[in-house]
Amino acid sequence: MLRRAILRRIIIGIVTLFVVSVMIFVGTSVLPGDVAEIILGQMATPDSLAALRHDLGLDQPAYIRYFLWLGDLVTGDLGISKAGAGFGTVGTAISTMISSRLMNTFRLAGMVALIAIPLSLTLGLAAAMYPGTRLDRIITFSTLSLISLPEFLVATFLVLILAVQLGWLPSIAYMSGNETGLQLLRVLALPTLTLVIVVSAQIVRMTRATVLNVLSSPYIEMAILKGMPRKRIILRHALLNAIGPIVNVIALNLAWLISGVVIVETVFAYPGLAKLMIDGVQTRDLPLVQACAMIFCTTYVVLIFIADMVSILSNPRLRHPR
Amino acid sequence: MGKRKKIHAAIPELKNELAKGNLSRRDFIRNATLLGVSAAAASQMAGFMLPKKVFAATPRKGGFVRMAAEMHGPDDQMDPIVATSTIDYTRMHVVYNGLVQILDNMSLHPELAGEWSVNKSATEYTFKIRKGVHFHDGSPMTGHDVVWSMRRHLGKDSPSVIKALMASVDEWKLVDTYTVKAILNSPDADLPAKLGEKQAKIVKKDTKDFKKGNGTGPFVLKSFEPGVKSTHARNKDYWRDRPYLDEVEITAITDPIARVNALIAGDVQLITAVDAKSIRLVEQAQGVHISSTPTATYGGICCLKNTMPGKDDDFVKGMQYIQDRERIVRSILKGHGMVGNDQPISPAFGKDHCHELPQREYDPDKAKWHLNKAGISTAELYTAPIIPGLEEMCLLMQANLKKIGFDLKIKRMPTDGYWGSVWMKEPMNVVTWNMRPTANAMLALQFAPGGAWNDTFWNNERVGELLKLSLAETDPVKRHGMYCEMQTLVHNGSGMVIPYHVNSIDGINDKIHGIPKQPLGFLGGCEWPEFAWIEA
Repeated sequence: MLRRAILRRIIIGIVTLFVVSVMIFVGTSVLPGDVAEIILGQMATPDSLAALRHDLGLDQPAYIRYFLWLGDLVTGDLGISKAGAGFGTVGTAISTMISSRLMNTFRLAGMVALIAIPLSLTLGLAAAMYPGTRLDRIITFSTLSLISLPEFLVATFLVLILAVQLGWLPSIAYMSGNETGLQLLRVLALPTLTLVIVVSAQIVRMTRATVLNVLSSPYIEMAILKGMPRKRIILRHALLNAIGPIVNVIALNLAWLISGVVIVETVFAYPGLAKLMIDGVQTRDLPLVQACAMIFCTTYVVLIFIADMVSILSNPRLRHPR
Repeated sequence: MGKRKKIHAAIPELKNELAKGNLSRRDFIRNATLLGVSAAAASQMAGFMLPKKVFAATPRKGGFVRMAAEMHGPDDQMDPIVATSTIDYTRMHVVYNGLVQILDNMSLHPELAGEWSVNKSATEYTFKIRKGVHFHDGSPMTGHDVVWSMRRHLGKDSPSVIKALMASVDEWKLVDTYTVKAILNSPDADLPAKLGEKQAKIVKKDTKDFKKGNGTGPFVLKSFEPGVKSTHARNKDYWRDRPYLDEVEITAITDPIARVNALIAGDVQLITAVDAKSIRLVEQAQGVHISSTPTATYGGICCLKNTMPGKDDDFVKGMQYIQDRERIVRSILKGHGMVGNDQPISPAFGKDHCHELPQREYDPDKAKWHLNKAGISTAELYTAPIIPGLEEMCLLMQANLKKIGFDLKIKRMPTDGYWGSVWMKEPMNVVTWNMRPTANAMLALQFAPGGAWNDTFWNNERVGELLKLSLAETDPVKRHGMYCEMQTLVHNGSGMVIPYHVNSIDGINDKIHGIPKQPLGFLGGCEWPEFAWIEA
């Protein structure tokens, strides 16, 4: 039964990825202008445009370009980006362009997750354990205000105070590539702090809400009537049943950390993958955009898959669907 | 961040006394601090009043500089002929040399061409190539490399950004290993200046992979990641005594606020394109300053002459007279710019600027008269934030037009795709042109009859004739007369409205010196790497 559920989800995931690849391809094709126009900009003439288009292979029909790319992708070849290469010269393999950026992105997301998940689970549970108390109100109030603050504002405030005024931390998360240990922590401190603030608020809210929701169900009432200690009720009975929605929120936030932090990357000039994709869109670098989109989509599919598995394992009812 | 304080009313008076010489600098500072001005601010004020201390200190070797430009991405280039952004230009000057170098006040200096000569009719140039110069890979640089590099700008299939500038050259010929000839199809007295462009750099013959950056320039390329950064180490075998810096790192911070913050916090030492809103912030911060260089780069409006309403000369006149130029420069550009005179040759071009041409002033009455004569009371203007101040300029224009009963509709477009889908297509659209190395090139781009970028579709045969004649003219008085005639024709007859020229506004760490005063781009026309040095 469980095996079939897993198999079904994997197939759905692959179909999703395929559909997304078509959508991304069509989406980028209907954008006005192409990579040749972007490279030459204001200085484009019909002659130089045609010359560059031919050099880039853009004079072939769209569907041929799509299937060529798909074939390469299936065999693990992300393709060549021509945008940075100059005229009539070899391009850069997209896999090399992406690999260092992907490392940076994972590094940042990892650090944020390491701090944000335990922190927000603790805070959320604490708020749920003592609802209506001063602790709960402080947590609720601060998370609500933080959720409504856009991340660029949080980032700019932190930079102004910690970097420009006090000079404790660097204002940009500039990676020279050979930072180690403490240096790396220093460089990543501000973007990490910004993202922890943004991400935690959501997870805290969700944890508090789901745990409180479960706490109002009849079996918890039964446990209370039995005289079980409140801490034990929450940790053993309520939390396990609330874990499904919480894991899903965490998964969505992790996926966002990998694909959606372009604003934080821009403010801190952090060379991550999300920024690369935006740059790719601006330069009409179709293979690059597609590769990034596929990576992001895969991240979502994999993380949601894991979240689903965790919910299924934690909830026997889902293990045996009728 | 500096705090803004109310300044005591007596301070301006004190400043006046100081300027007249009735008060010593020390007395000024003492009195000013008594009136509640901080000592640092007071000495700063006093500093502004006196001639800046002349930096007689000699350049020092060593040090590391990180520069943050305003834009970069995966399409960053190391191939000179397709360099299009500040970060590309800077890398070209770091890694490569050209035949000619343009430095302070647009003066020309021999670089890889040790010397050059031209025949009487300005149709054939002979360049003596410098001997003993090596590429970073150790191979000697010869005329073969020069000819190969320069030929890349010629021909129908060339994607070179400066193909139009090089159109006067028919062929580059190798005479012997260290002598190269340029054979021209029409006279071109300006060719050496055009060879100072960053796209005209000399690369090694038969280069296939430009990402390695194998040039003869002052720094050797250590790493190049498009859209992230490039790092460079001093070229120990450079053929000149420079550069002074040991290492240079070139990156971009696209967010304008983050860029300024990084400069103030000391994470980068040089930034380009400080926006008007941040100028005061940089001026008040410790250890950094603003460098503002007048250029000919402008923001303007194209009224297409091949269609209505631009076809009507009176409509164009109305749009020109409604520009409150002084106010645009004062309030929108915060003083970091110059008023334009509806023609592109600003005073930054020196001798070729026509100072005899009277300045067109803000005159709503004349504008109203011309618009009434044209019988037009509404128009659509397409705008995009392609250069600082443009959108504000359009809004100011809209408000001033409303006062005289004209309804201007503003269509805001994204920068992305603007050049392909709006520019040269919509009857009235905003435009910007960067300063070119010569007045002739700047005029030819936009106003040569039938030219590819004649963006107002104004075909004036006399301008076409003068563009050619002036290139062959070597007499300075006659030459100035020709340029003045062209500027007058454009000022009176074309569909261009040019209310302002912008300055290049850079943010610089106080410890950095030696940046050339060259107006062709940010940070001394991006020529800074070879000349900059750090105070100990």
